[in-house]
Amino acid sequence: MIKVNGEEMEWHPGMTVKDILEAKKFIFPMIGVWINDKPIPRDKFETTVVNDGDDVQVIHMISGG
Amino acid sequence: MKRLATYPERCVGCENCMLTCSKTWFKEEDKKLSRIRVIQSNSGYEINVCNQCGICIDTCPTLAIGRDALGVVRIDESKCVGCLMCAGFCPTESMFTADNKEKPFKCIACGICSKECPPRALVLEQD
Amino acid sequence: MDKMKLLTKWEYKPVNIYRGYAGRTLYINISNFSFQEKPVSEDMKEKFIGGRGFGLKLLWDAVKDTTKWNDPENEIVISGGPLCGITQYPGSGKCYTVFISPLTEQTYDSNAGGYFGPLLKFSGWDALEIQGKADRDIIVFIDGDNNKVEIYESPFEEVSAVTVTEALHEYFADNEEDKRNISVVSTGKGAENSYWGCLNMSFYDLRRKTPRLKQAGRGGGGTVFRDKKLAAIVVKKRGISPSSNNPADLATLQQVGLKLHKEIRDLDDQQNRMRKVGTPHLNEIMNEYHLLPVHNYKFGQHKDAPKIHSKIFEGIFTQGIPDGCWYGCSMACAKAADKFELKTGPLKGRKVTVDGPEYETCAGLGSNIGVFDPEWIIEANFYADHYGLDTISLGTGIAFVCECYELGFLNKEITNGLELNFGAKDDIMELIHRMGRGDDEFARIVGLGIRRMKKIFSEKYGAPRDVLENIGMEGQGLEVSEYVPKESVAQWGGYFLTLKGPQHDEAWLIFMDRVNKQLPTFEDKAEALHYFPNFRLWFSLVGLCKLPWNDIEPADNAIKYKGIEAAKVPEHVQNYVDLFNAVTGKKITKEELIIQSERVYNFQRVFQLRLGKGTRKHHNIPLRAIGPVFPEEWEARKDYYDNELKAAGIDPENLSTEEKIEKLQKYRLSQWEQLVDAVYKRRGWNKNGIPTIETLRRLGIDYPEVVEVVKRHLKPEDEWES
Repeated sequence: MIKVNGEEMEWHPGMTVKDILEAKKFIFPMIGVWINDKPIPRDKFETTVVNDGDDVQVIHMISGG
Repeated sequence: MKRLATYPERCVGCENCMLTCSKTWFKEEDKKLSRIRVIQSNSGYEINVCNQCGICIDTCPTLAIGRDALGVVRIDESKCVGCLMCAGFCPTESMFTADNKEKPFKCIACGICSKECPPRALVLEQD
Repeated sequence: MDKMKLLTKWEYKPVNIYRGYAGRTLYINISNFSFQEKPVSEDMKEKFIGGRGFGLKLLWDAVKDTTKWNDPENEIVISGGPLCGITQYPGSGKCYTVFISPLTEQTYDSNAGGYFGPLLKFSGWDALEIQGKADRDIIVFIDGDNNKVEIYESPFEEVSAVTVTEALHEYFADNEEDKRNISVVSTGKGAENSYWGCLNMSFYDLRRKTPRLKQAGRGGGGTVFRDKKLAAIVVKKRGISPSSNNPADLATLQQVGLKLHKEIRDLDDQQNRMRKVGTPHLNEIMNEYHLLPVHNYKFGQHKDAPKIHSKIFEGIFTQGIPDGCWYGCSMACAKAADKFELKTGPLKGRKVTVDGPEYETCAGLGSNIGVFDPEWIIEANFYADHYGLDTISLGTGIAFVCECYELGFLNKEITNGLELNFGAKDDIMELIHRMGRGDDEFARIVGLGIRRMKKIFSEKYGAPRDVLENIGMEGQGLEVSEYVPKESVAQWGGYFLTLKGPQHDEAWLIFMDRVNKQLPTFEDKAEALHYFPNFRLWFSLVGLCKLPWNDIEPADNAIKYKGIEAAKVPEHVQNYVDLFNAVTGKKITKEELIIQSERVYNFQRVFQLRLGKGTRKHHNIPLRAIGPVFPEEWEARKDYYDNELKAAGIDPENLSTEEKIEKLQKYRLSQWEQLVDAVYKRRGWNKNGIPTIETLRRLGIDYPEVVEVVKRHLKPEDEWES
């Protein structure tokens, strides 16, 4: 199990940040992802693997200008 | 189209071009006012000067930028409002700005610097 | 166009603009054609900064407590601000128009891009103040090149934005290129018959060879304009230069501007694609997050939403043209559809350039009324601009009408033949044309706005008032803008605890609240509802557009900063501090920036109070804004809403959908009251939403006339327990 924005989510081996965003349908482009308080650059979403028990924060910036 | 072609492998870093350019167009010798920039790199020198690609033409809100009869991209200063979008969007960063100049400036392929370049790293070309 | 008839002329002395200010404002009384040059004091600059601040200050001095929107005393005040008209930084051409609104019966302030704000200032005026009413349609011309103001009799039989604007750019320009030195404020015939009148402000597009229209859309400014018999206001000023504002530090302006241009060059494509698509990049995003208003905010998503996907508009908008609405805007989001052939109405068959649609129009005159046809939306956008109607109020208002029709509260007899179901494209377009023409009683009633429609539909047509109150999406008399607020307590506040009505000028907190879950307590929400409205409203004081603040962000923003700090885009906030200091020569900090805004925020709050509003009871919220009203809304997201009920400590088992709805409403209404308390407290207001004397003092706006208004309304029982 991992936590995403405080909510529990099923984890599977090899799960990437991109997988999480797709599963949650987080399609907003202006997103900051932090795993266990460490920031992940946007160009590394596809390749960054998430580990079991990780605390993931997906921060959407403000929209609706 | 007329443009200043560069052969950086010939450059010796004398900086004559920069001083000549700023002297010619801004009446003072100041590398920050030159429309050509020579920078030292690991393998020698890099020369940054406008290649007249014209991408800036479509960024200008007042139609101040256009090509002259020889294809050289020129700024009509009477129309320029100094928004600097051309400088911001130049793919080679060859549109220059300076703290004490309100409007941007670029190489207009006059060729004066090429006359002051001993190793002939700068050549005015026409195709 | 024939030579216009000159009614009066007034000459003025030129001034030098210094550090972003002309140092004076222009007052025109169009009842008696008198003119006045009013000096701007240091205190006025210090406390009110400019723009909306100046507008509110001038309006305060001009009206009585009892002034109504259609009294001659009401004013239209237009002002940019000290940063308005710089050319180096994206989004620097904005101005605000301040007036007493027909919809909300209190002050409204509406912003627009275009060239009017800068050209007005460089003509020598920090604000334009128009009071009175003319005895015939007039055109006011501010000739900044020759230092005079002329008032002409309007030659236009019908005042409609597109035709009037085009004609006046032509009339006052010496040649094609000169047209960019002109800006026209206009509205349309629809503003004569509706309280949803908008103002259009033009700029000339040299490449398209046509004027473009930006809108000060909301609040009914166009209605006030036509009530005063203004047909147009024109300003002309040649010779805009990079230092027209006479800034203290031009080099910094250049550096910061260049930095933003490069940021946009490098990152816009991966971020919000503003240069390609503009604000409609939000269409599919809002749909995905259940935030796209569908069928009068019943739902946040619709299966046909892909038909209005941003990619479709990208294909319609002409690409590769610098679409900034003032010089230097590389955000370039003023997209347009060119050579668009109109299929209906008075200009049927004509191929026109349509400004937009913006996201709000795609949603308001689209999903919210059940229409998912991009070409229909574009045509509706065009006619809304031409008739001078606010597309947001029009969309949300018509959505209300459609729901009333589907509920059987209205019928074909009442609507004079129109079958106004959701998605009834042809009939809805006809309704818009009728609003434009002003020849139909029902269309006229619609145009009075949701608040008055509720009264009329119940009194005249027997519709149940309580249901209308629940589904009529308005706050303080203004229609809600196009985001579904239901599922975010913070956004209830963002819409319904505002100064002027439910528009997202002040706050957009939905992601922060519900997706990021960064505002768990009421205090957290209140803190966000203190910081963001104050930060966002700062732009209104200085003449800037807020889109370059957060519709583009530095590459490392989300890495360097976490959480709410990242959402503030700290590097851009610093840009704005630097820009302000570079123009004015002052040395403000990020903290002072907020206080500048908080000062005017509270002044405006007291102004609303002065006009008979501005207390807790006026911060109304309809039930549709806080959750489902009818079973179909619950059933559309059954699991989600059942979970919401569980999270509220209520077991959904064995409850009918109606019972579940009622229980959730009761729970959420109690949450609303707690939010209101927390927000008022944080803002330094008492329980009734009135700024305390202490707050006025802290902000330096304890002027005698301001204190006097507040003192009349302060009651000991409204104080917080210590």
